Amino acid sequence: MNPIIRLVYRNLTISINPGFIIWQILFPLIYIFVAGYAYTSLIENVPFGTKDLSYPAFLASGMIGFNIMNSTLISGIIIWNDRRHGMFEQIMSGPYTRSDYILSNIVTIGIIGLVSAGLITAVGYPVFFESVDFSIVTIPLLIFASVVGAILFGSIASIISTRLRSSEGFNVIINTVFLFFAFASTAFYPAQGAPQPLATAFYINPLSYLVDIVRAGIFGQITDFVIMEMIFLIVLASILFVIATKLLTKLDF
Amino acid sequence: MLCIQTSNLTKKYGSSLAVDGIDLEIKSGQVFGFLGPNGAGKSTVIKLLTTLMPPTKGKLSVLGIDAAKSPLEIRRKIGVVLQQPSYEMTLSVENSLDKYGMMWDVDKKIRKQRTEELLTSFGLQDIRKKKNDDLSIGQRRRVQVAREFMHDMELLFLDEPTVGLDPSARRDLLDFLKKQVQKTGLTIFYTTHVLSEAEYLCDNVAIINKGKILAVDSPNELKNRFGREKTIKINLSNTSLSLNELLSDIPDCKIELEPETTITINSSNSEIVLMNILKILNQNNITINDLSAIPTNLEEIFLKVVSDSNEPDN
Ligand SMILES: Nc1ncnc2c1ncn2[C@@H]1O[C@H](COP(=O)(O)OP(=O)(O)OP(=O)(O)O)[C@@H](O)[C@H]1O
Ligand SMILES: [Mg+2]
Repeated sequence: MNPIIRLVYRNLTISINPGFIIWQILFPLIYIFVAGYAYTSLIENVPFGTKDLSYPAFLASGMIGFNIMNSTLISGIIIWNDRRHGMFEQIMSGPYTRSDYILSNIVTIGIIGLVSAGLITAVGYPVFFESVDFSIVTIPLLIFASVVGAILFGSIASIISTRLRSSEGFNVIINTVFLFFAFASTAFYPAQGAPQPLATAFYINPLSYLVDIVRAGIFGQITDFVIMEMIFLIVLASILFVIATKLLTKLDF
Repeated sequence: MLCIQTSNLTKKYGSSLAVDGIDLEIKSGQVFGFLGPNGAGKSTVIKLLTTLMPPTKGKLSVLGIDAAKSPLEIRRKIGVVLQQPSYEMTLSVENSLDKYGMMWDVDKKIRKQRTEELLTSFGLQDIRKKKNDDLSIGQRRRVQVAREFMHDMELLFLDEPTVGLDPSARRDLLDFLKKQVQKTGLTIFYTTHVLSEAEYLCDNVAIINKGKILAVDSPNELKNRFGREKTIKINLSNTSLSLNELLSDIPDCKIELEPETTITINSSNSEIVLMNILKILNQNNITINDLSAIPTNLEEIFLKVVSDSNEPDN
């Protein structure tokens, strides 16, 4: 078996447990159904491109992006635990190279991101089927979002986990950063109607771009703006990936 | 065949010199003990030999492979148990062994069989379902050492593997290692502070201090070389006579009055010194309570070699 596949298999075995599944799959679903319908009385319709989406449909599609981001936390946690519990050194003194290690993490979050995005799409389908406008670019766009999103947020999680030393610090910082991404984004609420500073914050946030791309795929609204967002995501993901790899390569024993 | 060969191996952390120009030649099929006080550079040498980090200067080859050229090829053929703990929190003991074997690309059937054997050899059968996170420190260490035997290797590095093990687990491990060396021709590079362990296990030992090798030889040879000075202690009942005056002509003996009156002889001619002292004590009717010779063991030699190297003019 290829070394990267072996490491991916290990990553999946050590990180998939009931707690993770609840956090990753159950929580978003509950959120879509409970919050989605509870807030319908406040937010009736969300204009999106040429369409008006129901709030649950808007939220469910946002959850896919949110979920892709969340699944990358896993890679930060794996790197963090590997360093803290000596597995990083153990793996590095075995039949692996640093690039095997880095690539296996990317593949792991790619898989977790794709699977959970797929699950949320499948289960959320009844919620947004009315407005769905699937086309030949839907699946490629969802895959693009999962993969580029996984690399982008995975690199952020990896940078945080290689820079920090105390585990309190790790948890506080990684949760704060990801909470900021989640709530200052268009995943849960539309930017239109939000106060100006908040609306601006939404668009310095890569999660908003990611969510826009997912929505564009599902609701068939591919505009020039979405294409710019895709380019922006690719550029940002590449830069962060290079930084994350450098930091991981320089990690001392 | 030479299993490990280094020349002028040097490692600096910033400006501090952790390994200071080490030349080593270690033959295959033996247990090689690497002894030294805290901070001597033992773990750093292991990290260099296992290609975890590159040396600042010098050359090394392991199993005939140049570490600067093909580190991965070396790592495929060795096993390493580092000094610090290493485990996956969420895995059970049996799963840790199995998954570790998987990471080494060991066939599933062989993995299953080895897991059973190792669980038994390392006394882990009772806790095989427990999660690593819930193990005691010594149990975790046992799992860490055991899982290294899931894969085949030609050379195994063990950095203080017995720390945290109870005496019987310790002895079991040493016997297990001896058996492995006999059975498979494995070479083991073994660091420890427990000198009796090194004496029991190792064919050859090196003593290292402050990044430099002070001596390399078999434990017996080292005893012959450094162990000629014997230490004898004489314990006396209190006496009103001044021992210092009585024994002023006798070399190589030290007198202590507190907490008990003792004379310590430390000399390469300790038997003769002893006879002279006994004669004087006898003439002055001083009674001896206890007389003991401290046997030469590796520990004494270790202490002597290391303390000599710490003297300023060395
Ligand atoms: N990562 C590091 N950065 C800076 N200095 C280090 C680092 N690791 C070790 N050292 C220093 O290098 C020297 C050798 O350390 P090393 O860990 O090799 O000792 P050791 O012989 O294994 O000691 P011990 O018996 O305590 O395990 C020490 O002086 C130590 O302070
Ligand atoms: Mg050490």
